[in-house]
Amino acid sequence: METIIVKNIAKSFGKTEAVKDVSFKVSPGIIFGLLGPNGSGKTTSIRILLDIYQPDRGTVEILGGPMDEGKLNKIGYLPEERGLYQDVEVNRCLTYLATLKGMSKEQIAQRLPVWLERFDLTAHQKKKNKELSKGMQQKAQLIAALIHEPEIIIIDEPFSALDPVNTQLVKDLLIELRNQGKTIVMCTHQMNQVEMLCDRLVLIDHGQVLLEGSLEEVRERFASNQILIQSDNPLPQEIAGVESIVKEGLHYRLTPSGNLTAHDLLRELVRQGINLNTFQVAVPSLDEIFIQVVKEGRNDHEQND
Amino acid sequence: MNKTIKVARFEYLHHVGKKRFWITLISAPLGMVVLILVTTLITFMTIDKSPIGFIDQAGLITQVKDPNYKPGFLDIEIEMVPYTDEATARADVENKTLQAFFIIPAGYESTYQVEYYANKMPSSDITEEVISFLSRNLRLGDNIPNLERIQAGSQISLRSLDGSQQSDGTGWHRIVVPILIGLIYFVLVMSSGGYLLQSLVEEKQNRTMEIMITSVTPNQLMVGKTIGNISVGLTQIGFWALVAAIALFIMRNRIPFLNDLNLSAGYVILSLGMMILSFIVNAGIMATIGATMTTVEEGQSITGLIVVPMMLPFYFMQAFFTNPNGTLPKVLSYIPVSAPLSMSLRMAFTNIPAWEIILVYAILIISAVLVLWLSGKAFSLGMLEYSKRIRIRDLFRKEVSNG
Repeated sequence: METIIVKNIAKSFGKTEAVKDVSFKVSPGIIFGLLGPNGSGKTTSIRILLDIYQPDRGTVEILGGPMDEGKLNKIGYLPEERGLYQDVEVNRCLTYLATLKGMSKEQIAQRLPVWLERFDLTAHQKKKNKELSKGMQQKAQLIAALIHEPEIIIIDEPFSALDPVNTQLVKDLLIELRNQGKTIVMCTHQMNQVEMLCDRLVLIDHGQVLLEGSLEEVRERFASNQILIQSDNPLPQEIAGVESIVKEGLHYRLTPSGNLTAHDLLRELVRQGINLNTFQVAVPSLDEIFIQVVKEGRNDHEQND
Repeated sequence: MNKTIKVARFEYLHHVGKKRFWITLISAPLGMVVLILVTTLITFMTIDKSPIGFIDQAGLITQVKDPNYKPGFLDIEIEMVPYTDEATARADVENKTLQAFFIIPAGYESTYQVEYYANKMPSSDITEEVISFLSRNLRLGDNIPNLERIQAGSQISLRSLDGSQQSDGTGWHRIVVPILIGLIYFVLVMSSGGYLLQSLVEEKQNRTMEIMITSVTPNQLMVGKTIGNISVGLTQIGFWALVAAIALFIMRNRIPFLNDLNLSAGYVILSLGMMILSFIVNAGIMATIGATMTTVEEGQSITGLIVVPMMLPFYFMQAFFTNPNGTLPKVLSYIPVSAPLSMSLRMAFTNIPAWEIILVYAILIISAVLVLWLSGKAFSLGMLEYSKRIRIRDLFRKEVSNG
């Protein structure tokens, strides 16, 4: 059963259509990537999801029904525009935010030290938030989003201010939470993180869904018949059954013609005595898919306008 | 604990925990005490305390020194020295043994005139000393019933024909109490209202707002903040009232006119009611500003505009004294932010018909509802506007762009 069901939501602000038609479903125990370029409608969609904005059209179901006050306590949110009370101590600020999520003093006293320790903030808990570095503040906000053990976690650019060590810490944490059966919605522009973490994704632009599916489905959909090879010897000008050979840095991109399979091509290359270091089917990166889909979407959008 | 109470508690402790709060809390009474002490000390030090001579040609003075007089701290006591001839007294003034001398001529009891000789004008304290010295000796031996009441003068009570309104004579509290109400109102608005505005803008400025509204409803947040910040203002006023009560208790025997303070319950209830309603209007305005501005500095600069109409009755105080039912006092009574002070002043100086009091209450209630609606609208539109200021006309549209 899905924990989040977004059906055909739309939202306009004056004459600006921030979200035209967005639908997606998220199940528990997965990390769901909500992707899109700047101004695509991601933040508005999340705010509709969180009941901050009312949609003009469409519906949102959270944990089997519309949002209510009780469900707010089951959601952990790390917004893109983040910040904490600047002149309040880390400890006091996190305690306050945790009480607003329905936690008792005893629960906070039990869990907060564990989280502070995990994020290496124990020594800084008495400091005011404004005395912390940007990365530390982000970690404190992550604690605020997670301390009440929410069922749904919505995080916007969770790695933006973190160094590689803390990035890894957060990645491990997200995987751990996914394995615990939490529903995680992650917005990010870092496609390498999406490739590593997300099970499913939706790509939106101009307030519309351009692409949706599991990571494998998306990759398969955009996979070409091209082959990437790396060789110690230069390749011959022509290879039987190969339409084009293009050198790209250290490797060659080969486009087979007709029904030539990767297996046939490999056999042909070996037959010709070409010394191969690597031979791989060219699967486009998520970055490439993202750019391609957004470009195509924008062309369609301009034509429709 | 209810989330509204949690927000209110945090807001209260957040502001009360700040140095600024304690500085404001302590500096106001402390400043007042220092001001009184410095003024008294300067007066005490600058007054000429050398003796004053007198020549009693009327045979009036039988007791040079009051046997019951016990000088208090910083009390000025001038020694009165009897002289028999004017030349000696004049010589002593010249050689500065005396600061002055006066002659009580024969027949003083019918003319009540004395001649005062000095090289400089006597201060009011010196004049009072001389008058008190003469009065005390004039009364000695006489047994006049209700002497003190006769000296206090007459008192006229004004009553409307139907008996619904009345005003007590010329008591000093007729001026002091409305001004006090105005000042309390001003402090309440500037402290609580100011904290509310600051708190809302800060939450936007430091981007905490988005986390807050995914934990509490906008209503819980606004009501919690309002309760918390009003409590901060009430704490300030409560503390100052306590200090004032202690000061009055200590000073009550030294300042006899404090005993005249006798306010009617109706006056106090009506004034307080108007003050509370007007404060809600002001808090709503502050919240609207807070929700529409993007920085604390912007909010503070706009706040100044609220202070001006609130202070108008102070600027036009003369109009209330001379013609409390004139056009200007009436107009100021109908403006929600200047109504508490204007109406308190008018009620102290004249009879106000019941319909007018009802009208002012109606204006205040309608304004409070309207402004609270507007602040709610401003809050829902502006809470996530981090970089763009909401314009007033936007508040009357359905929704604004999210930037």
